[in-house]
Amino acid sequence: MKKATYSLIFAGGALLMIGFAIAFLVAPIAVSESGKELFNQKIFYYHAPVAETSLLAFLLGAVFGALFLIKKERKYDFLSLAAVELGFVFGMLVEFTGVMWDKAAWGVWWQWEPRLTTYLILMLVYAAYFVLRSAVSEDSTKARFGAVYAILAAVTVPLTFLSIRLIPSIHPIVIDTGGAHMEGPMLAAFLISMFGMTTFFVALLLMRYQAQLTAEEVDYLKNELGG
Amino acid sequence: MSATRQIGAIIKKDVIAELRTKEMVVTMVLFVLIIMVAFHFGFGETKDFAPFAGGLIWIAFLFASTLGLNRSFVHEKDEGCLEGLLLAPVDRPNIFFGKMLGNLIFLTIVEIIAVPLYLGMLNLSVNGSVPLFVGAIVLGNIGICTVGTLLSTISVNSKMRDMLLPVIYLPIMTPILMTAVIATNGAMAGFVGKDGPQMYAQVMSAMKLLAVYDIIFLLVAYALYDFVIGE
Repeated sequence: MKKATYSLIFAGGALLMIGFAIAFLVAPIAVSESGKELFNQKIFYYHAPVAETSLLAFLLGAVFGALFLIKKERKYDFLSLAAVELGFVFGMLVEFTGVMWDKAAWGVWWQWEPRLTTYLILMLVYAAYFVLRSAVSEDSTKARFGAVYAILAAVTVPLTFLSIRLIPSIHPIVIDTGGAHMEGPMLAAFLISMFGMTTFFVALLLMRYQAQLTAEEVDYLKNELGG
Repeated sequence: MSATRQIGAIIKKDVIAELRTKEMVVTMVLFVLIIMVAFHFGFGETKDFAPFAGGLIWIAFLFASTLGLNRSFVHEKDEGCLEGLLLAPVDRPNIFFGKMLGNLIFLTIVEIIAVPLYLGMLNLSVNGSVPLFVGAIVLGNIGICTVGTLLSTISVNSKMRDMLLPVIYLPIMTPILMTAVIATNGAMAGFVGKDGPQMYAQVMSAMKLLAVYDIIFLLVAYALYDFVIGE
């Protein structure tokens, strides 16, 4: 399993490098409708894969949480926690890159724009997950509450996304361009980055999971030795 | 005992306890009034609160509800009633519905007192549609009590107790808060002028979403409550 993890991390890393190389060296610079060159669109090749991966992570957190509640096996709790942790880290990256793009495209650091706002709420929801876990001392209760909360949080995310659409956005969503008008090297760069980021995430998830297994083993051995 | 009788018994117990102490409703009403005064100072010279009336009302109710939700389980926990409730021949989901409906009753009482005060003292009026206004509040309340009952059961079983609830509860409530604010604002502002029909459509879709969220949260809370309340 360790070997597989390492090969995954190298494969993911390599794909990401190739994706970025294509994005910066091969893919043409995006042009806005008014004919202006949009170099800041390049961040999209990083921003979108990270966003997709963090959503995938949160979803996995809920799935593993549900598996834990059904099967009561500790490994699912470890996986759920690892997924939420990684989702949170990736989510922070989404927020940072989003803010950077805001500054470049709109000239302000923060805009109460539906997408950014949704992500901010998402981050708050999942930040509370860690507070909740740290507020419970017993391990089994911690796992149970964590799983319940991870499921509830994953339910909230699409709802928040839907309801925020009701609020009329004052800004045109410029970088929605992404999927729709991409072709050739742009699409290739995007897909390779996306795939690379997902692979990278899976590798990190497995690593974190193994680390938790080891931590548990160490704890057990420590107890064996008498604390 | 049938499910309705089990739920009824739990509600009755909560109502009797509240009638004896009256602390939950009184505290929540006072809190809502204090927030209103805070709004008055927070908005400085503003005399016209109409543009954000829905937001003011829901922020006050949401924050007040955290007080009540905390209370409803802290009592049970401290007096060892939760164990008694779990030992009693009552189905776990019925405990959820009993506690949730109890909270709903108290929150509604608070709102029946607070809404007229808000309308009167902040110079607000419901220009659009009163049924829509009431409907938005009822649907919002159901959402608040559903999520709140589930999460307050979690928070009362943690080390942080009362401190934990707002942190886990308020972000989860965002979809309910957003749709409820849109619906309430619309119902209060009315649908006149050029944008009238468009406004009405937006409010109606907010109401529908709110109802859907209530159902989703009810189902999720119902399914998960068994795992929250005890071993």
